[in-house]
Amino acid sequence: MLTDGLVVVHEGLGEEKLGLRRLVLKGPIAKTAQAGQFVAVQVQDSSIPSFDPLLRRPISLAEISPDQEEITLLYRIQGRGTEILARARCGERLSLLGPLGKGFSLPKIGELWLIAGGIGIFPLYALAQSALAQGLIVRLFWGGENQSFLKSAGLPAWQALGIPIHLSTLDGTLGDKGLVTEQVQVRLSQLFRQTKQADSSSPGQISVATCGPKKMMQAVTELCMNFSVPVQVSLEERMGCAVGACLGCVCTLIDEAGTLSHRKVCQDGPVFRGEEVVWDASC
Amino acid sequence: MRPVDLTTAFAGITLRNPVLTCSGTYGFGEEYADYCPLEALGGITLKGITPLPRLGNSVPRLVETPAGLLNSVGLENPGLEEFLFSYLPKIRKMPTAVIANISGFSLEDYVQMASALQVDSGLAALEVNISCPNVKHGGMHFGTDPQSAEEVIAAVKTATDLPIIAKLSPNVTDIVGMARAVQRGGADALSLINTLLGMRIDIEQQRPLLANTVGGLSGPAIRPIAVRMVWQVAEAVDLPIIGMGGITTWQDAVEFILAGATAVSIGTGNFVNPQAPLEVLQGIDVYCEKHGITSVRNLVGLAHKA
Repeated sequence: MLTDGLVVVHEGLGEEKLGLRRLVLKGPIAKTAQAGQFVAVQVQDSSIPSFDPLLRRPISLAEISPDQEEITLLYRIQGRGTEILARARCGERLSLLGPLGKGFSLPKIGELWLIAGGIGIFPLYALAQSALAQGLIVRLFWGGENQSFLKSAGLPAWQALGIPIHLSTLDGTLGDKGLVTEQVQVRLSQLFRQTKQADSSSPGQISVATCGPKKMMQAVTELCMNFSVPVQVSLEERMGCAVGACLGCVCTLIDEAGTLSHRKVCQDGPVFRGEEVVWDASC
Repeated sequence: MRPVDLTTAFAGITLRNPVLTCSGTYGFGEEYADYCPLEALGGITLKGITPLPRLGNSVPRLVETPAGLLNSVGLENPGLEEFLFSYLPKIRKMPTAVIANISGFSLEDYVQMASALQVDSGLAALEVNISCPNVKHGGMHFGTDPQSAEEVIAAVKTATDLPIIAKLSPNVTDIVGMARAVQRGGADALSLINTLLGMRIDIEQQRPLLANTVGGLSGPAIRPIAVRMVWQVAEAVDLPIIGMGGITTWQDAVEFILAGATAVSIGTGNFVNPQAPLEVLQGIDVYCEKHGITSVRNLVGLAHKA
């Protein structure tokens, strides 16, 4: 739907130099939105309408509260569009298109592993909330640059969920030093050995949802495929219309017969099954 | 006071109002239906199709520019057969005039598609894209050489009984010469303008931002060029014009109509505001009433007479 969101909270998140923002919008989108979906926000200084920047900005939903009719968007200021968005004040209304795209699907039972790289953590919070509400076991693996980043980008809110959390930082200032995928690999290997002893072909009932840099999601997908663990990935691409009309944001998928096809990240995704994504597509 | 007559007719095409949507920005008509009711529009122009399916170019296919958008989709489409089989049955039921858009790489490609699309297909007209900047020989050759343009339009005209709209490229030195050429070929109307060739470079990576290096520029940034071309062609060539190029507001649309456009088409503006066509239509209505214009047809080209 095309609707307005009333800004009820718009604040810095953590250390100011990281440019992270938390934006809570009140409006009807919260009623139907699902984890993994996104909104296309018009970024305009409402006092001076202009067409620069021209396009809406797609931003994932970090929290969905249907009862309060609120959605939370977490974003990082990294260009002219988000710089202008960051000026929106409480009481203003922002034009929103959404909820858009196809979000994550939850397994019926078992353990859901969330694997995040950097600000790829943002859409996974809404997923964690709905998974926990359905009684699933949730475990987080999150890698970031350093302690300051992880703390700024919402670690306290994750800790408040009371779930097991495995952190990695590039400089070792929090959690393990290294990449998040290393921790995932270690844990999957352990589990795989245990279940192998129990004469099973895969670690039982684990599924993975991941969001982060492309290379990291590709590595997570390869790991999951090695261990026969189902994995959902949330892709990102430059978008034009955000509703499937312009074909600007396609990704390449491969089916079981090896046939390549394009899908629209905005409409058919952003969430896809990891094994169907062609990560280094040249067409 | 009588309501303003918004209906328009040209080249054998009857429209309930002069507001259309542009090829390549409106999919096959369903994508925006939740945001802008099809029955409110004068018509829609479908995504361009080619004889065979095309995957199109690599991503990134889009990059923003000041008040503009560069794209290099590369004519991704399901191909003629799939279009006829899967899309056309739904399109026939759409409550608005539907214009198909065809592209090709040879004269034979254009003829093959035009032959398959006739009045009984349920279409209102055929827009012939002789101006796609994003594929090698993607019609651009036909769109920049007057004689080729004339030939391709003449061949298409013979192959179908649908009205023919020639979509012209602005990437030429003499737009009037191109318009005259397609008129000689038998075009019934003109779409003015397609995108302007442009590019952007990532100064940190020191590489072009688009995978295809160059792309077509659209959006408000190109509007004055489009208005100028509509004006020049309207002065010189007696063919109805569908004006397009950066229309996002009703004021933009009125400018095109005053320059000589019989209808207007909204493209990139839909991405900014999916209800832009409705707001444009309403604005034209109010403008006509305010200026004592009883029919939108009387507004066409009015700036030439002043």
